[in-house]
Amino acid sequence: MYDLVIRNGRVVDGSGMPAFNADIAVQDGRITRIGRVAEAGRREIDATAKVVAPGFIDPHTHFDAQLLWDGYAKPALSHGVTTVVAGNCSLSLAPLKAEHRMKLVGMFNQIEEMPLKAFKEGVVWDWESFPEYLARIQKGLAINVGQLVGHSVLRLWVMGEAAMERTANAQEISAMQQLLRECLDAGAIGLSTSYVDMDETLKPVPSRYADAGEVDALASVLSDYGRVLQIVPEFYDPDLTIARLDQLAELSIKYAIPTTFSPLFVSADNIEAVERVMARVDEQFARGARVWPQVQTRPIDISFSFAVPSLLFIRLPGWYNVMRFGTQDEIIEAFSNPESRAKLVAEASSQMALWSFLRLRHVASEANQKYVGKTLAEIGEMRGVSALDAMIDLSVEEKLDAHFIAESMGHNQDEQVGSLLRHPRVHIGASDGGAHILSFSTYGDTGYLFGHFVRDRGLLTLEESVKKVTSDTAAIWGIPDRGLLQKGLVADIVVFDPAAINRGAEVYVQDVPGDGSRYIRDAHGVDTVIVGGGIAWSAAEGYTSDARGAIVPPALTVPAERIAA
Amino acid sequence: MTAALSPVRKSILPQNGDSWDSIAQRELPGTAETDAVAMLQSWNLHVFMRAAGGVGRLRSDNPILPSDVIFVEPPRA
Repeated sequence: MYDLVIRNGRVVDGSGMPAFNADIAVQDGRITRIGRVAEAGRREIDATAKVVAPGFIDPHTHFDAQLLWDGYAKPALSHGVTTVVAGNCSLSLAPLKAEHRMKLVGMFNQIEEMPLKAFKEGVVWDWESFPEYLARIQKGLAINVGQLVGHSVLRLWVMGEAAMERTANAQEISAMQQLLRECLDAGAIGLSTSYVDMDETLKPVPSRYADAGEVDALASVLSDYGRVLQIVPEFYDPDLTIARLDQLAELSIKYAIPTTFSPLFVSADNIEAVERVMARVDEQFARGARVWPQVQTRPIDISFSFAVPSLLFIRLPGWYNVMRFGTQDEIIEAFSNPESRAKLVAEASSQMALWSFLRLRHVASEANQKYVGKTLAEIGEMRGVSALDAMIDLSVEEKLDAHFIAESMGHNQDEQVGSLLRHPRVHIGASDGGAHILSFSTYGDTGYLFGHFVRDRGLLTLEESVKKVTSDTAAIWGIPDRGLLQKGLVADIVVFDPAAINRGAEVYVQDVPGDGSRYIRDAHGVDTVIVGGGIAWSAAEGYTSDARGAIVPPALTVPAERIAA
Repeated sequence: MTAALSPVRKSILPQNGDSWDSIAQRELPGTAETDAVAMLQSWNLHVFMRAAGGVGRLRSDNPILPSDVIFVEPPRA
């Protein structure tokens, strides 16, 4: 008798080959048979009229903190995501000395918009080294995790405060190389770095003080392990993006390593720029480099209130400084005082089209409920003020608990996005799962891929889309034994209804430690999610206690003395 | 086999301690230094505006970070 049999499904095996009808048997966590299975299973799933595919792999997330209190990375797992890559953009939670914890929390708060209170109330800081962190999250892990090492964190460990001031000397670079080796030995999936991010004091993050020689030295270590280098380039400028991808390509060729940069957005005003970037990607691949651009499936929506800083205001220094550093009373005073308000209005008035387009999505007071769902242009008209003044007035009246949304701001040209997603040298990713939790929901990108681009628009086939988010991702990132439905591989499997799969509406929930909130989307049309042969989530049962998540790739050698008991 | 790359906008990565002046001297040797610095700054607003705007400010006298891409010619048509 098998542990699990999935019967009568339409198997899309992740290879890109045409779907076929078959049963799948699972034993001891691995796929043991694909075909007609006569023998019974201790558990059986009827997949009639459903697709059976490898579990989806999300290569760009920031679940580093959430995994400390939620080994399921909810709700990502319920969307069919069985593996996430965390530690992107130069930020990981290890290796991390005790004295640098609050510095890193500040960076996560600034860059990834993750609440300070969640770290304070949801995290027990009982690790310093990378193996200790992996051991910590492995307890109760239901989803597989590929953990990057953050370049900013490596610098902090080796250089301390100087990491945020200067280039490293030869000795320090050598120490970083040694530390990176220890992380890779323990199972790190690669290294991440950033060329754009700023810390909580609006100074560049430590990785931006590294010169090319330091990055080259770290890439040489990745070469010994064949591991990935991930970067965030200056994605707002195609010339800068091309310069960065050329830099990556040189490292990729010199050290024979895969590299990836994220994000790459396409909107009505940058179609030609994206074409230039992709032409360069093609040329670099033709030279033998591996420089994978990551493209997300969903359009850009950004929600905000003035209660927490929002990156939507990063290019308005007056506004951003008030949001970033002001208390609630100070922000309300800045909006109420005629002099400071006039300065803010003057700074923001050039973007009136944006403010007019914003929609009010939530207020607490009864008096303002009548405005919910309307644009600020409409509200301004009802109140006889500008859209910008309407936004400020509502925020003051609601004591900053007025929530606005900028919907479909970009990356919303279906034909262009679909064409990118289909491109053989584009890596589907950049969900940012676990981050920006009050700006947008980072969950449901795969539902949107299969619901919108495959089923509704017909811009990609089911088989090529499954391949893109399973075996392609596993191959790019060097994740062994996963990403395909093949005999002998680990049984990470998702069963879904191709006629129903989608992302649900974005909803505001309060499930973050420290009474925090976030936006999430429920999964539609996903039936069962299997990780390591165990049913981790199903539509019928919800999340189960069968937590078989693993660290991928597995450790090469894990020094036992460094792992917490 | 190595395929050729199309020409793209020329850029450099800074050397240790680089400033607008040192880059101007090295990369634009035929141009008067003040003119060369002004050109570099206009081609690299992502760096130049960092000092002026305050956000991301590093050192008031030298906004160039060791990791910056510095363009040494204007955008191509």
